[in-house]
Amino acid sequence: MRTKVSQKMLFTWLALAGLILLLAPEKLTSRFNFAFARLFRWPLSIGHSVSLAARPRHLPKGTVTQDELRYLNYIANLEQQVLEEHRKVEQLAGLHTRLPLEGAGVVPAEIVTASLTGSHSELVINRGLDDGLRTGQFVLANNGIIGTIVHVEPRQGRVRLCTDPASRIKVKVEGSKIFRVMEGTGINSAKISNVSTKHKIEGNAFVFAQKKPGLLDCPMVIGIIAECRRDDEKPLLWDITVRPVCDLSQLREVGVIVMDPDEHLRL
Amino acid sequence: MRWLRFAALVLVTAIVQAGFLDRIALGLVNAKPDLLLILLVFFSLYGIPRSKVAESGGYRFDVSPAIITSFSLGFASDIILVGSPMGTQTLAFGIVGTLLAYLHRIIVIRKMPYQALATFIACVCVGLLVAGLTRFKGQHIFNFRLILWRSVYSAVVGPFLFLPVAWWMRIRTHRLRQY
Repeated sequence: MRTKVSQKMLFTWLALAGLILLLAPEKLTSRFNFAFARLFRWPLSIGHSVSLAARPRHLPKGTVTQDELRYLNYIANLEQQVLEEHRKVEQLAGLHTRLPLEGAGVVPAEIVTASLTGSHSELVINRGLDDGLRTGQFVLANNGIIGTIVHVEPRQGRVRLCTDPASRIKVKVEGSKIFRVMEGTGINSAKISNVSTKHKIEGNAFVFAQKKPGLLDCPMVIGIIAECRRDDEKPLLWDITVRPVCDLSQLREVGVIVMDPDEHLRL
Repeated sequence: MRWLRFAALVLVTAIVQAGFLDRIALGLVNAKPDLLLILLVFFSLYGIPRSKVAESGGYRFDVSPAIITSFSLGFASDIILVGSPMGTQTLAFGIVGTLLAYLHRIIVIRKMPYQALATFIACVCVGLLVAGLTRFKGQHIFNFRLILWRSVYSAVVGPFLFLPVAWWMRIRTHRLRQY
């Protein structure tokens, strides 16, 4: 016998289901996202590749190409490693120490699907717990950091890019000794706030993600200062806009820094 | 309602929305048309079967399929959106779709400009509701420029997609009359 459900009851039940989804822990609900990405990995990857292939690649005059940017990031990272090593040598003279990032590994990962809208900038990658990934690990592209792992499943992981509005990463600006939190804006950039105008900030200076115990041994480049001007609302502070180390919409593959990797993943 | 056809349509649309629309994204905010929302408007407007003759004369419209399709499309939108709190789209789509279906019992929308207007308003309402629910979840993400651009884009694209969707779902979009 067929049961008749009134329209009001139907709406109430479905709204209740929606509320349960809303209030359920993210750890549980994100399984739906991963299941979708896993089931339809093939068409989603094709879509991502098609979008990348179809994107125009000509750059305006004077713009640094992706390859040049990769080398610039590499040099900036090396400089930071040398500085870090000098600091350690000075502090721990005579004691044995190891090089920053020595023994660390990079797990290469393919992007399954990317969500780069104004409100969310996240990626789903095809590596997870089984590959040694953990929440909080830093993600690399073009020799620079682009975000952190926010959720991992056995075979997949979710990366929150540094441009995501929910992203908060502790950074340092090249040539200064100020440590601040960099927040994503959602429009392919990030902001560094609460920097007094007493500090001298140069345009095009590198911004480095600060080291984090167990996750990053040495500062690594995370962005470049695109604009630095006085804050309209707080004239005593700088309004610093940072652009990521690479064009995030062009990404096909990323690497995840694993500080205690298996033997085959060591740098 | 042909539910199997509906399920296939939602699945294909979700995959296209998640993986194939980056090419046509516009502006700094990366605005893309919301295909699932266009489907929401379609099913709220045309997915309500004219079931029985009412006692007072005229026809009764059964809004139940529109309610189910609205929540289903919202759930699909939640699943494909990586990083968005789950449930926000489900609730927003469900509420707006149901309201639109009830509204359509009073106002008949058949011409393309009105379909575009309905899509625009629905998209703005869903965007604002999602922003509010996301705030309730503790994430303060509100980008009105993105909502506006996405609404305009969806409103322009939407009415052109109504015809193929109607053909696939075997729904006659011009059968409804005001009684």
